[in-house]
Amino acid sequence: MKKGLRVILLLLLCGSTLHAQRKGYVVFSGKIIDVENKAPIEGASVFFSGSSEGGTTDSLGVFSVTIAARSYQVIARSLGYKYKTFRLDLTKNAQTTIELERSEQLLGEVVITAEKADANVNRAMMGVEKMSSKTLKKLPTLMGEADVIRSILLLPGVSTVGEGASGFNVRGGNVDQNLVLLDGVPLFNTSHLFGFFTGFNADMVQDLSLYKGGIPSMYGGRASSVLDVRVKEGDFDKWSMQGGVGPISSRILVDGPLVKGKTSLIVGARGSISDFYMKYFPNPSLAKSKADFYDVNFKLTHRFGKNQRISLSGYASNDGFKFAQDTLYSWNTKTLSFKHNALLKGNLSHNFTAFYSDYTYGIEGQKQGLEFLWKPSIIQTSLKEELSKDLGKSGRLDFGAEVSAFSNDAGSFVPNSSSSKIDKFAMSTEYTREMAAYMGHSVPIGKKFNLDYGLRYAYYQLLGPGDFYQYKLGTPREINTITDTLNATSNDVVASYGGFEPRLSFAIKLDTSFSIKIGFNRMQQFRHLLSNTMAVSPSDIWKNSNQQIPPQVADQYSIGFFKNFTNASNAVFETSVEMYYKNLNNVVDYVDGAQLYLNPTVETQLLVGKGMAYGAEFFLKKSRGKRLTGWISYTYARTFRTIQANENQKEANFGIQFPANFDTPHTFKFVLNNRWTNRISFNANFTYTTGRPITYPNGRYKIYSFNDLYDYAVATGIFPRPGLAQTTYTYNGSTYSYLVSKEIKELLDGYSTASFTLRNAERIPDYIRLDVGITIDPKPGKRWQGSWNFSIYNLLGRQNAYSVYFRSSTGEINQAKTYQLSVLGAAIPSITYNFKF
Amino acid sequence: MRHLILFCCALFLLSSCETEIEDFKTENVSSAIVVYGEISNVDGPFNVRLNYVSAYSPYDVTQFSGQPISEANVRIVDGSGKETAFYEKSKGYYLSPIGFKGEVGQKYKLRIKLLDGKTIESNFQTINSAPELAEFSYSFQDATKVEDMRFPLKASIKDPKATEDYYFVKRQDFRQFLLTCPTPPPPPAPTPTCNCLCWQAPQNTQPYLLDDFLLSGKNLSFDIGQLPYEDFTNWVVQLDVYSISKETHTYWKRLEDQRKLNGGIFDKVPAQVVGNLKCISDPSQEVLGYFMVGGLTQKRLTVDRFNGIPAAAYQKLGFYVDFNNIRRKDIPLWNCKDASFIKYNLGYSLPPL
Repeated sequence: MKKGLRVILLLLLCGSTLHAQRKGYVVFSGKIIDVENKAPIEGASVFFSGSSEGGTTDSLGVFSVTIAARSYQVIARSLGYKYKTFRLDLTKNAQTTIELERSEQLLGEVVITAEKADANVNRAMMGVEKMSSKTLKKLPTLMGEADVIRSILLLPGVSTVGEGASGFNVRGGNVDQNLVLLDGVPLFNTSHLFGFFTGFNADMVQDLSLYKGGIPSMYGGRASSVLDVRVKEGDFDKWSMQGGVGPISSRILVDGPLVKGKTSLIVGARGSISDFYMKYFPNPSLAKSKADFYDVNFKLTHRFGKNQRISLSGYASNDGFKFAQDTLYSWNTKTLSFKHNALLKGNLSHNFTAFYSDYTYGIEGQKQGLEFLWKPSIIQTSLKEELSKDLGKSGRLDFGAEVSAFSNDAGSFVPNSSSSKIDKFAMSTEYTREMAAYMGHSVPIGKKFNLDYGLRYAYYQLLGPGDFYQYKLGTPREINTITDTLNATSNDVVASYGGFEPRLSFAIKLDTSFSIKIGFNRMQQFRHLLSNTMAVSPSDIWKNSNQQIPPQVADQYSIGFFKNFTNASNAVFETSVEMYYKNLNNVVDYVDGAQLYLNPTVETQLLVGKGMAYGAEFFLKKSRGKRLTGWISYTYARTFRTIQANENQKEANFGIQFPANFDTPHTFKFVLNNRWTNRISFNANFTYTTGRPITYPNGRYKIYSFNDLYDYAVATGIFPRPGLAQTTYTYNGSTYSYLVSKEIKELLDGYSTASFTLRNAERIPDYIRLDVGITIDPKPGKRWQGSWNFSIYNLLGRQNAYSVYFRSSTGEINQAKTYQLSVLGAAIPSITYNFKF
Repeated sequence: MRHLILFCCALFLLSSCETEIEDFKTENVSSAIVVYGEISNVDGPFNVRLNYVSAYSPYDVTQFSGQPISEANVRIVDGSGKETAFYEKSKGYYLSPIGFKGEVGQKYKLRIKLLDGKTIESNFQTINSAPELAEFSYSFQDATKVEDMRFPLKASIKDPKATEDYYFVKRQDFRQFLLTCPTPPPPPAPTPTCNCLCWQAPQNTQPYLLDDFLLSGKNLSFDIGQLPYEDFTNWVVQLDVYSISKETHTYWKRLEDQRKLNGGIFDKVPAQVVGNLKCISDPSQEVLGYFMVGGLTQKRLTVDRFNGIPAAAYQKLGFYVDFNNIRRKDIPLWNCKDASFIKYNLGYSLPPL
């Protein structure tokens, strides 16, 4: 740990020495704000004519550029704003404030990226996708719900096991390997209604960034990807309200100044309305069902002068689901975070975050006499300091540290009524601590090269109190190989892991529109979602790394080619090819039929193995245009797991490599946005994916455990014996029946079951879906701004297979049937009305 | 609009669409050997069946059962090393000798030597003491409509405290059925004797699995459903309750979990369920099935659907029987034992318990 920190400090020192102002250069700094509410605009870009220099604003809207002293035509632009250009004569260090006007209601270009035009070529990083809230809302939706995770599934390299499955898979990583940050706070469950919708309100989203590779060193804790979702701030100038009514949920968002120009508040809420009409269903099972959810966000921001602000944010999400049974599934998340941002002296910006997050999930049994409650939870408390120093020509230096404490309650099973005869079953709460420090330096090297390098050191401790089992070495872990129980007291370190996570991205610009990039990143993950079902379920438990389960470590190597083309009408087409190879160490797998719930020795059900993923993503994007924007992508991707036997575990799948559940080699996607008029735009997206892997049977057999009666009947001569059956004949239009002799005998039948072979060796049919939608934007200039969204999800009405499964039962005909299940097997139209005033 | 909402919601929540794939063909049919046998503390004979796996083809009758394996040397070995040889009664069907039965507390394993020299062995399993049924009863549930009248059944096992117990329950129903006698011949021909009350035994191959997790020492009730009131005849329910090992319970639980898969998003990934047998002479030879050992209690419950029924309900059933023609009035028969159109027609009497 100490060694790791020393290395980071050394790197920090090296980085800071790179900063020195050259002769003939001046520092031009300033702030970019919204002309209406004077709010700072983060991520806005500043360009200078005749120079390759440029700047990007930070969270306070501040930028700083070291540039040769001469005259320039300056262009400032940001997503959703009209760009602004002005003349600037630079002779000495200067500061300015640039106000940008919103472009939403004007016939400007449509922009579907949250970045400047050539960012894809210029930056060193690759594997990064950014999306604005505006793009998010224009995509065709399921049941009228603009949805973050459904939207990112349209990006190359992002996949899912199937319709309605919770979470997403990035470049061959498991669902739990994605770090999803909502305004900096990690979420452990991102779903409403199991996985049909994202657990947070798209209205609250400012923009989102998905890091598939080239993950900056400030992020850590999960092995595969980062989805960083930024939440909007309230308006500092005037109050407004917006909302929407859809068939699944309704939502409202209010924002405005508490103290004009100083303090703003934004509050958004969304709730399902399905319970209101569920009771009208004629189907009694459905009428007794419950499927409700809500989520609420708020953010209170206060400015201290120009360069300092604090904010307090909260998020609460809740789901309850019962389908005509006596079992209620529920999951909820509550987070509260405090942030302090300031621009300090010497172009050093500081972001301090403190947050508390509580994810509670579980099951409530409501069957009379057997009422129970099982509510596991994870509580995380974190402190994080992020510093960013603008080094002018020497780039930007980011460094910081974070400390987190977790309490992971595996959930005791307790009777939930006085009449319940269930015994209590106590499960333990595990305590862990995570510390990380990082630095990252983004530096241009001459005009041709850009380098982003960074290092993160993460350290993890599993702490007492609690009982921790020791297993006999040299034999596979089983309950009867426990040799000892370690009774740890509070704060005893039971297991600890730590390691460096190097991050590197290097870009070679061959010309202004073509670059080649290479990258490497290592990520560690100390907490694992245990799920041996097809899709992760909201009752799946999280397990900490312990003495038996080491952290997952993912190394990703990537190379990318980025080329932008401009046509005669100056429309820019971004193209790229990214190839990656990912090595996953210590991936968690399961013994066949693993029992993961209420199992104090759950490590006996877990296997540790290796994973591997590789792929190539081909991407063509038109991110700006008067009429047509969109993208087309083709991805070839594979992901495999290998679980071999070793001295501590048995193998899975005979130790042979098998494709992961979400291995889909060929994926073709397109997203199209065509603006017909100022207010009406047409949207379509299409997805083709190879069917996911499945384990097919290689036969069927019977277990003759229920044949006592048959055996008795045969032994005593009851079967076979002579008997009579009725038959008929027709004569002169009349039907006559008579008896004929027929032997009475029965079939020897048994418990019929399928024999399965290698895991995931076959595939379900391919997935094809086309969604279309029309958005009618509000009339400009009106106070009440009403907009409509009409969508048809799965326009082709294709019954995409979610799974193929095998059902065995008795009887000659029913013994072994094969079925295909489609989760959404029809075209689903929806209409949503959104308003703002 | 309301209809649209209902439609959308129904689509959303219930649009799971199941279609049968009728042309599914098994590729590379497994060459695994399937063994199933069981012994308990009750009188035998006990049997062991040996087969090969068959193709997963629902409409191919030749694949209904796997090919039997003949001429195997099948033996039960107990904890003291004593061996009991089974004899082959018919192809692939091996029976224990008369008089052989398991003893509570003794452990047993199965050892099979095939004609080709392969040797298959199970692990040792111990016969636990036979479980006790705490309750096995029925009641009559009246209703306005005869179709809604029911005989709810109740059953529970008395679980011993302080031990970890697992149970496997087989259920066999025996339903008495009535046939209508044909019109007697005109005198002077004698009227033949009419035997119109016989037993049928609908086949069941699904077990009930129980364990005392969180309920140790309590009565473990299990849902055995209810019987319909569609005739006045008796209905007998037989329960064979086995006390089994955790390993056996896990084996059956995994089979049952896999049988109940419905392709849903939270289904477990299917995998081969391997039992307690393996081919010790050739580890590459896959062996499926199980050798189950358990303490057994058998009990029958006769549900009297004639006596003790309220008169009004009884009268309603009279009309109902007539209306639905439950009794075989269209095929009058002097002797119900001869009726081949009744599935699993056992004749006049029940098998001895």
